[in-house]
Amino acid sequence: MIPIPRLPHDPRRARPHRRGGRVRRRVAALALALAGAAGTAGAVELTMWVMPVTNNAQHDIPALIAPWLAQHPGTTVRVTVLDWESGWNKITAAAASRRGPDLLELGSTWMPAIAAMGGLEPLSAAQLAEVGNGAPYYAPLWKTTQVFGHAAVYGVPWYADVRAAFYRTDVFRQAGVDPAQAFASWDAFHAALKKINGQVVAGKRVAALAYAGKNDWNVVHNLAPWIWNAGGDVLSADAKHSALGSPQALRAIEFYSSLAVEGLVPSNALEKDSDILEGAWVGGDYGVIFSGPWLMRRIFEAPADAVVRNHFDVAPYPAGPAGHATFFGGSNLAIFKGSRHKAEAWSLVRYLGGKAPQLQLALLSSMMPARIDAANDPAWTSRHPVYGRLTAIAADGRAYPAIPAWGPLEAVYTKHLGQVAELSSGVGEPWSVPALKALIATTVIEADKVLEEAN
Amino acid sequence: MTTPGLTVTTAAAGPRRRRRRFDAFPYLLLAPAALMMVVVNLVPIVQGFRMSLLKLNQYTLSQFMDAPFIGLRNYRGVLLDPDNPVHAGMLGALRNTALYSLLVTACAVALGLGVALLLNRDFSGKAAARTLLMLPWVVPTYVVGTLWGFMWQRDEGIVNHVLVDVLHLMDHKPFWLIGSNTFFAIVIPTIWRAWPVLMLIFLAALQAVPEELYEAARLDGANAWQRFRNITLPALKPVIVIQVMFQIIDNIYSYNIVAMMFGKGAGYPGEWGDLLMPLLTRQSFSYWRFGEGAAVSFVMMAVMLVFVAVWMRTFRRSMTDEA
Repeated sequence: MIPIPRLPHDPRRARPHRRGGRVRRRVAALALALAGAAGTAGAVELTMWVMPVTNNAQHDIPALIAPWLAQHPGTTVRVTVLDWESGWNKITAAAASRRGPDLLELGSTWMPAIAAMGGLEPLSAAQLAEVGNGAPYYAPLWKTTQVFGHAAVYGVPWYADVRAAFYRTDVFRQAGVDPAQAFASWDAFHAALKKINGQVVAGKRVAALAYAGKNDWNVVHNLAPWIWNAGGDVLSADAKHSALGSPQALRAIEFYSSLAVEGLVPSNALEKDSDILEGAWVGGDYGVIFSGPWLMRRIFEAPADAVVRNHFDVAPYPAGPAGHATFFGGSNLAIFKGSRHKAEAWSLVRYLGGKAPQLQLALLSSMMPARIDAANDPAWTSRHPVYGRLTAIAADGRAYPAIPAWGPLEAVYTKHLGQVAELSSGVGEPWSVPALKALIATTVIEADKVLEEAN
Repeated sequence: MTTPGLTVTTAAAGPRRRRRRFDAFPYLLLAPAALMMVVVNLVPIVQGFRMSLLKLNQYTLSQFMDAPFIGLRNYRGVLLDPDNPVHAGMLGALRNTALYSLLVTACAVALGLGVALLLNRDFSGKAAARTLLMLPWVVPTYVVGTLWGFMWQRDEGIVNHVLVDVLHLMDHKPFWLIGSNTFFAIVIPTIWRAWPVLMLIFLAALQAVPEELYEAARLDGANAWQRFRNITLPALKPVIVIQVMFQIIDNIYSYNIVAMMFGKGAGYPGEWGDLLMPLLTRQSFSYWRFGEGAAVSFVMMAVMLVFVAVWMRTFRRSMTDEA
């Protein structure tokens, strides 16, 4: 037999060498990787999505978390500032795809929807114990970290939005209206608005009250306190049906819209949005506007000679037959389900839920702290008397039931209740109680259909 | 007759022997574009159709294409169920969209054609005039919506200031963003933005009409109207037919102006301002009814396909310039 000569390139010879080379390369790569990992032991980059809570959130939020970073060497936080318009789409897309940040800020009404989609990590019993099982936070805000009817908690309240009546003290004084009485009842409020409507102060004719119409995201938040104070609600007790058709809710909607019909809210306000109206209130066009703590920032930023700077105060919502509750919203912090650094993310959430960071954020943003102790801290309450009054008003704060379907439901409510303003504008179909009832009946049908999906 | 050494082939044998070989080169050149069309258009269309057959909402979104299959129930719901949230207001939006499309198309085409005829003459500053007239078209639609939203404000807006304070055409300032006037508040900015590009296209077409035709007509004693009717209009007919079709499609799918003008709340401009696309977006995305939204999209696509087919068939000869 003639032996087959083995050529240098014979695969049967070459193969063991190649395999050996591959193994060596893999071992070398592993060694390098381990060496690299050892060199940056504990290096974690957290990604965090927030909303523009301050004028310069991209700078302010890193400053806020700097003390936490100092305690966690090797950890970095990449902050992305979303905006309220596109943030919802980005967050829902992340929740659906399970690819998103490690921790994120969620509007209090957004939280149950994202939690129901499975996008958020529920807090463990140990984590809950670390935040006192919610005791340090305002109870209505703590409830927004849960899903209605379920025990799981998905986050920690971060900051609060509490609504109140911002009014011009100089206009009230000139009209001879006592603010203490003006907000004591609906009738007193109505009488006060009639007195201040048309007052000329500092050369400017002042309209009594401003609220926005259909082209505004606050339509439901503006109306809800009136409904609560009339003894009604936006949802039934089991949160399965719309409650806007109740006599109490209808009474509230009737009273609220009649203010525009009477001309106490100028009809041109109904074609504007809250942002423009708040600017006009700061500019001296209106006597009263219902707004939140962010308006303080706007007042402070007004020109030094702006008359409103030294002539304003806040009051609770006018007391209705059932009290003077106000809308209590805000934002929570949560850990994203898909996070690969849940322990670090929780550490940061817990830190930001603490008193000192909440106070610091409140002073940066003018939004109210979500913690009771921070909201009562002199650093907040003594900054301006109005902050202290907002804290007092928050005691009557109410939030919507934290149902996953709140997003679609709010869209239905905003669409139809925006048309209430259209009705009271005096353009087209005249305002009447039957017309109002018909509009609300349509709203309830559409709302119940949306809720039906959730039940 | 045969010649020694010469092979004569029959006519029938020629093509068989010289049969054209398959040439893959043109297909190779077309392949990237075809692949792109499949990826960018066909795949999403097929996926969209599949979505329209699923119960795809807030509670099933994480399952996405594995959401429960419900056949044609979404189509029945959005088309026939008066209580369906996506269906709510659809008839009104359909009426508004039809009126809006017809009015915008008619006005934009008429204005574009009229100004093109004026510009198709020699005068000093013609190029500058043409450039200035193009400016509205350069403004993006979302900016148009935002700007006109301010311009329509009753007391502070420039429209009422001009109409009432400057021109004294009205004795009071009307609302444009509330009530039935919302219809005009969306129609007028759309026309304002649409006509300049039509003007440019018509102007280009006008410049291709041979001047000799007009000279001959003048010699025959034809007046301006006769020249327009018998020379200009037939020459422009293919362009007009195509542009009208594009305008109708664009206007039926119109979204940006309404969304920017009325999008700060629910995005509902009221009974007279709601169009199909804003309604579809609002009531499928805001309400999280994606399956039903996909169903409405497919109905709209089918209607548009029928429209385009009928239009093309009706005006086929005009478009190919065979008339």
